Parts: sequence; C-alpha cells; structure tokens
Amino acid sequence: MPLLSVRNLKTRFATDRGTVRAVNGVSFDLEEGEILGLVGESGSGKSVTALSIMRLVPEPPGKVTADAMTLDGTDLLGLSEAQAREVRGSRMAMIFQDPMRSLNPVLTIGRQITEVLHRHQKLAGAAARRRAVELLDTVGIPMAEKRLGAYPHQFSGGMRQRVMIAIALSCNPRLLIADEATTALDVTIQAQIIDLVKRLTRERGTSVIWISHDLGVVAGLCDRVNVMYAGTVVESGPIRELFHRPSHGYTLGLMGSTPRVDGTSTRRLTPIEGMPPNLIDPIPLCPFLPRCRVSVAACQARPPAPRQFGAGHWASCLADLAP
Amino acid sequence: MMWRYLGRRLIQVPLVLVVVSLMTFLITRATPGDPVQIMLGMQTSPEAAAAMRAEFNLDRSLPEQYGLWIAKVVTGDLGRSIRLNDRVTALLAERFPVSLQLAAAAMAFALFVSIPLGVIAALRRNSWIDYLCTGYTVLGFAVPNFGLALILIYVFSIKLDWLPITGIGSSEAAAGGWWTYIRPFIVPAVALGTLQTAMLTRLLRSSMIDVLSQDYMRTARAKGLLPATIVIVHALKNAMIPFITMVAVQFGYMIGIQVTIEYIFAVPGMGSAVLNAVVTRDFPVIQGFTLVISAFFLFANIVADMLYALLDPRIRY
Amino acid sequence: MAVVQSPPPVAAPRIAGSLRLAARQFPRHRAAMVGLICLALICLAAALAPWVAPYDPIQIKLSAKLKPPSFEHWMGTDHFGRDVFSRLLYGGRTSLSVGLLVVGFAFVMGVPLGLASGYFGKRIDNLLMRLVDAFLTFPPLLLAVALVGLLGPDIQNVMLALGLVQAPVLARMVRGSTLAVREDVYVTAARALGAGPARIVLSHLLRNVMSPIVVQLTIVFAAAVVAEASLSFLGFGTQPPQPSWGRDMSEARRFLGDAPWMFLAPTGAIMLCVLSINFMGDGLRDALDPRAWRTRRTIGQAER
Repeated sequence: MPLLSVRNLKTRFATDRGTVRAVNGVSFDLEEGEILGLVGESGSGKSVTALSIMRLVPEPPGKVTADAMTLDGTDLLGLSEAQAREVRGSRMAMIFQDPMRSLNPVLTIGRQITEVLHRHQKLAGAAARRRAVELLDTVGIPMAEKRLGAYPHQFSGGMRQRVMIAIALSCNPRLLIADEATTALDVTIQAQIIDLVKRLTRERGTSVIWISHDLGVVAGLCDRVNVMYAGTVVESGPIRELFHRPSHGYTLGLMGSTPRVDGTSTRRLTPIEGMPPNLIDPIPLCPFLPRCRVSVAACQARPPAPRQFGAGHWASCLADLAP
Repeated sequence: MMWRYLGRRLIQVPLVLVVVSLMTFLITRATPGDPVQIMLGMQTSPEAAAAMRAEFNLDRSLPEQYGLWIAKVVTGDLGRSIRLNDRVTALLAERFPVSLQLAAAAMAFALFVSIPLGVIAALRRNSWIDYLCTGYTVLGFAVPNFGLALILIYVFSIKLDWLPITGIGSSEAAAGGWWTYIRPFIVPAVALGTLQTAMLTRLLRSSMIDVLSQDYMRTARAKGLLPATIVIVHALKNAMIPFITMVAVQFGYMIGIQVTIEYIFAVPGMGSAVLNAVVTRDFPVIQGFTLVISAFFLFANIVADMLYALLDPRIRY
Repeated sequence: MAVVQSPPPVAAPRIAGSLRLAARQFPRHRAAMVGLICLALICLAAALAPWVAPYDPIQIKLSAKLKPPSFEHWMGTDHFGRDVFSRLLYGGRTSLSVGLLVVGFAFVMGVPLGLASGYFGKRIDNLLMRLVDAFLTFPPLLLAVALVGLLGPDIQNVMLALGLVQAPVLARMVRGSTLAVREDVYVTAARALGAGPARIVLSHLLRNVMSPIVVQLTIVFAAAVVAEASLSFLGFGTQPPQPSWGRDMSEARRFLGDAPWMFLAPTGAIMLCVLSINFMGDGLRDALDPRAWRTRRTIGQAER
C-alpha cells in the first residue's frame, strides 16, 4: 500500500475576479521511501498541492476537496484542525524555499527545534536540548552545542536550510515535503543540501515530495517525477523514462528550455512561448494548447486523456512524440 | 558595541538640552514689560525691586544671565521660585512623581486596551471586532483629550456618580487603601490615555498583520504548534518590538501634553505647575520645569532605542 | 556640448502627470470624499457665519439662559443666554482660520529648512537637525502656552506658537524626501545639463517631496485646530467674549450637569473637523501613493 494516496485533489480560491482553480484534479501515489519530484512553472499548482496535503491552505478563501487523500491510512481531509495539528510536524513535515524568511528571527534556533520536540514528543529541558544537538550534528552543523543559542541571522544560507531540515526531521516524519528548498541557495550549497536530504531520507525510509522548477535538481535526486501544468499532472513517470521519452508537449518544452552541462554547446535553448494559463476560466481542452509546439489537430477537438507510455509512465497528451 | 552607541547618544543629550534651555530662557526673557514689576506687582518699593533684581541677576546682560543660570543648573541648582518661595528642585520633587503616576495610569489603560484589541483585530481581520477596533481608533484620534474628559466627567461623575473627579495626590487618598488612592486617577487616566490607546492599537494591529504574513509563521503552522504558541511566541514577540519602543516614547511625551488634564482635574503635577508659573511670570519655575520635562523625553527616547536593540537580536550597534 | 541653449531641466517622467493621476484616484476613496465634503461644508458655514447664524453670538440675554436644544435654539443656550449654535459657527471661523494659517506658517518655516538641510547636507544638515531635535524635545503644548502666555494672547502669537510646534516635523519629513531625491539620477542629469542649484531645487525636489508634505499638512491642520482649542480652553487663546470652541468648553465646565449641550456642541464640532480632515488625509495619502492605487488589473494574463 502506498504511503500517500491522493485522488482527484482540487483546491480552489475565491477571489474578486472569480474562483481560481489552483489545483484542478491531481492524483498520485507515493510509495514508502520513494522520492517523488513535482515539477512545473510558477503557478502550476505544485506548492498549493503540497500545502493542501499539509492542510496549510487557509479555508476561507481556499477550499480543498478530494476523493481521497490518505497518509499511512489516515484520511487527511477528514481531520479536524486540532487533529491536523497533531499530524503536522510529527508525521508529515515541510521545508520551504527561503530559510532566512522561514525561520523566526527573534527566537534562537535551539528554541525553534526544541519546541517541535516538546510539542510532539513531550521532550523538555535537558533531554530536548540533547536531542536538538544530535539533530544539528546529523545535518552537519559544526559546534552544535554552542549554536543552540544562536539566532538565524547568524547563520549562512546553507546552514539555515540544514537547520530547517533538522527541524523537519526531528520527529521522524513519514513524509517530507520540500518546496523549492534549494532554489535560494548557491549551486554548490544546493548540491550539499540535496545530498544531505537524499542520505537522511534513505536512512530513515522517509518518503519525499521534492518540488522544483529546476529539472537538473530533480534529475539528480528523484525516483519518479510528476510534471504539473495549470493545476493538473500532465505527465508522470520514472525519472529515466521521463528524460528519455518526454511524452507531453509541456515536458518537451521544459527539456528544451533547460540548459545542459553535457549538451552540445551549439544547441539553442528553446523557451516556451506564451503566457501562463488562466486558472479562473480554464479552456475545456488541453491547458497547454495555446503554447504547445507539437499539438495535433485532435488537440483542438477534445481534451486529452491519460495514455500509457511505458511501465509507470503516462501522459495526458494526444500527440505522439519522438521514438 | 551597544555601549558605544549608548555613549554617543548620551553625549547628544546635553547638546540638545543646551538648545532647549536657551529656547526657554529666550522665551521667558521675551516677555514684554519689566519682569521685576510683573513679579512683585504694582506697589513695590524701589529697594525691594532692586534687591529682587540683584537676587535674580536681572541687572546683568542677557548672556551673563544665561551663563549664570546654566552654571547653576549643571550643579543641580535650578534656582528658587519667585512666587512660591521654595527651591525649584523641591517643587520638582513634589510635582514630578504625581505627573509620573498620572502618565503611568494613562499608559496602563492604553496597554490594557490596545494589546488585546490590536492582537484580536489583526487575527480576525474584517470581522466585527476589527471594525470596532477601527472605529475606536478613528474616534480616539479625533476627540481632544479635554473634550473626552468633560464627557467622562459628565457620564461617570455627575450622572452615575461612580467616580470622583478630584483628589489625586490628596492626603485623604494617600491615607486610605490602594483603591482609594487609585480611584481619582481613573477618569483622568482614561481621558489622557485614549489618544495613546488609539495610536498603540493601530500600531500593534498593523505590526501583527505584517508579522502574520511572514514566512516564518507558515513554518510555525507547518510544525503543528498550538495556536496560542503561534500567536504569542512566534507572532507577538516580533510584533511587540516596535510597539514597546513606541510605548517608551509616548510615555516620555505624555508628561508634556498632560497639562489640560491636570488643569481640569486639579492634579498637582508638572503641567499645572508650569501653567501657573506662566500666569504668574515665575521664570525660574518655567525654565527649570520645561528643562526637566524635555530631559525626561530625551531620556525616554534613548530608552526606547535601547529597548529596540535589546528586543531584536538582529540589531547590535 | 553642441547645444547652444540649455534645454529646460529634464522632467522626471515618473512624476509627470502624477498629480493628475492622483486627482483621479482621490474620488474613489469614499471616506475621503465624505471628509472633503464635510470639511467644505464646515468651512463654508463658518465663513458665512454672519449670514448663516440665527443669532448674535455675543448678545447676552439672561432670560433665555441654559435652555436645552429646541426649535428656536438648535443647540440650546449657554449661561448668558447666547445661542450655542451661533457661537459654534463663529467659533469655527477662529479655529479654522487659525488652523489654516498655522498650516501656512508651518509650511513657510519648515519646508525651506528641510529642503536646505536635505540638499546641502553635511554641516548645515547636522546643525539644522540638532535644532529640530531640540524643538521636538520641547513639550509642544507647554511651548505654545509659554509663548502665548508670556507674549500675549494676540492671534499672531497663537499662530506663531502653533506653527513653530508643527514646523519641525514638517522639516524632518521634507529633509528625508529631499535626501532621497537628491541622489536621484534626474537631478544629476539636470546638473549635467547646466541647470543651477536653485532651479534644480525648485523644479525637481519640490515636485517630488510634495506628496508626503501635502499629507502631513492635513495632519498639521487637524492638530492646529485641536491645539487652538486647547489653548483657548486653558485661557491662553481667544479671549472672551469672542466665541471660541475651546473657551466655550471651559466655561461649560461649571454647568456640566445642568447644560451638557454647552460642552457637547463644541466637542462635537472639533471631532467632526478632525475626522473630516483625517479621512481626507487618508484619501490624499492613498491617492498620492502609487502602490495604493486601485488599478484595473487582470488576473491571468491570458486576458491581455
């Protein structure tokens, strides 16, 4: 049985201009110990998906519905707010993009770690501090003991993200969601953080949802990838499959616009033309149609249904792309 | 590092105070008419007038008078009151604590109302509490404190007869229990503190709204912390920083604007002392008291800056 | 440089037409419009007092003293039988005219100070700001009391005192804006084109610092109205039998229980003035701050 099961997740926001369908029917499974990548441009709905799973979407003005959304057997959608608070931080955890802004500037990092331990594991005092030091060691913060009394602004960007990881993993969650966790960091630090996450989650058997717009990062880390566009998953498959046989116009576009270190230097990057989709009044056809370079006649006639392209690899595309 | 900043600020204090003292001096000396005549009244013998002139150095040139006064001030001697035949410093010792208590009472009221109102209004934006809060602050800014005082007196003292309007610092009040002592403070404190309440509520509300939209609040929620923890430990601690510094500044400022309230409620404080001194042309009192009030305000400002540095770990001078 | 005649100083495009845009924004702010209309009505009523007031405000008529509001006396009468409403209108003339003149005084005293301080910088800035600091440290009401009390209750002294109290804040604000604008590239460009310092100051800086100044002036206006009332209340401003809101409130103290309308009317008038001015100020602030403009924006750029 998969650890996380999401069926037909829809998250809508009421705005002055109408209802924004940020997530418009997302379904996927996440196995235990699996690292799933969630890729897409800004506004594709990846972050909102994560927030919906974490039950962090403010309702109003948001509204989260799904046919099913279960974590390890627990129906996440049916939880009351108080119950959701029990689950958050202990069984599922999330780290965010900018660690400087995601850590409270007036609290010591020791405090920001121990409060989670206190809240979910009832650890207090010296025991909590010991555990906090252990966690900081695990994520590679030197002189952990001394650093407990330090404030976030006294750390470097990479260190802060390590602290965030320590906080997230402190109660051994089954699910870790990382939302653009390395986007704000230097490239070399990015690599370190990715390696850290890979190692720690493999060790603990934690499942990971890694959200990014950066295909390169995803390629180095994830087992499977979901490509999202306009609030839906347009393609999903094992990492190798996806990179060797992109089967959706959007995925193709993403590949084409991603610089590659090993590629021929004369290849031109092909950006994806056009504007982001309208999430209030979606067209009844494929949402990517206005910007797609490989669309066929059928695309103008009917919306695409998911098609199988290989083991565990499907895409909602009517075009037949490549070999 | 902080001590260096503190040192720099403290150095500026005497400079500003010199200018203030100069201003007060010039204002008092700008009064038309012969000061001695004014002070002693019409029927006065030439000898008495001459003696007074000598005592108050009024026969010297203006710069000399100023210099002499300042020299005395530096040694802590603010002179003698002309009318009340007492040392200015002694008068200060009587009056300053009373003003301080009134200011403290007003500030206590302000905190009592503004903290819960500001926090709740920020948490429940666009709810009836938020509109109540906005309405209250708008009115609080608009009503002049002496107008409010009259309204409160009318309602609470005259019509309802719940609260007295005089008696602050009186001996009967001091003799009775703490409630008898506090009772006469209530109406004046509310009248004086309403403007501060409006200001502080607005500040805390906008500060909280700003803090609540920060990323670290999302992290706190993602950790599954209890709502009380999130609001008090994570949000309030940040939002309080500008709030507390504003409280310090406003407290220092209040002493200067209390005068109408002191006038209405016959409070024997600094403001009413200066008022009387102006009417009776009691220059030493005017000069000495305004100097002290200004110094207090400066001091409050420095305290506010220090508090800011203390509360916000990102700031280290 | 090939040009023979130096062209007029480069107009900073971002402020060209900003006043027009702001003027369009203002009416959208409902509270501000209400405030403006209310204030206009008050000013009009006060200005036309001799024609609008039903009674002579200083005419004593003891037979009609302390009468509650009625059809003949809309707001009742005071202890001398004088019509409170008429006194209100005439009192408004004093308060509002003092308020406006104080605004003028503060502007004249504070703005050049701030401009000079911000533009010339360094020593002058330091000196002037120390002066401003000292002024700001002085308890404002006491300063006004001292000035008026010692120099005499003439209207000029009142205005001087109140203007003096408000000028420093204005100066500080102007200095801040000037400092910001001074570094602006347009000023440098204008200087490169040969425009002299006075020209630069007047055409560039003033135009840019105008928006926060205008908003602050509304605050000054409201504060001046209240301050004038405070001074009169304490006995230092308008002298009897001249009608004055503050003075009337002071006299109403003795008759608080018997004739509450005596103090309620002027209190209400002051509050109405301050509220109107504040709302108007809010509207002005939003209208002049491009970030607060309510523009027609499309969500989902696909609509473009």
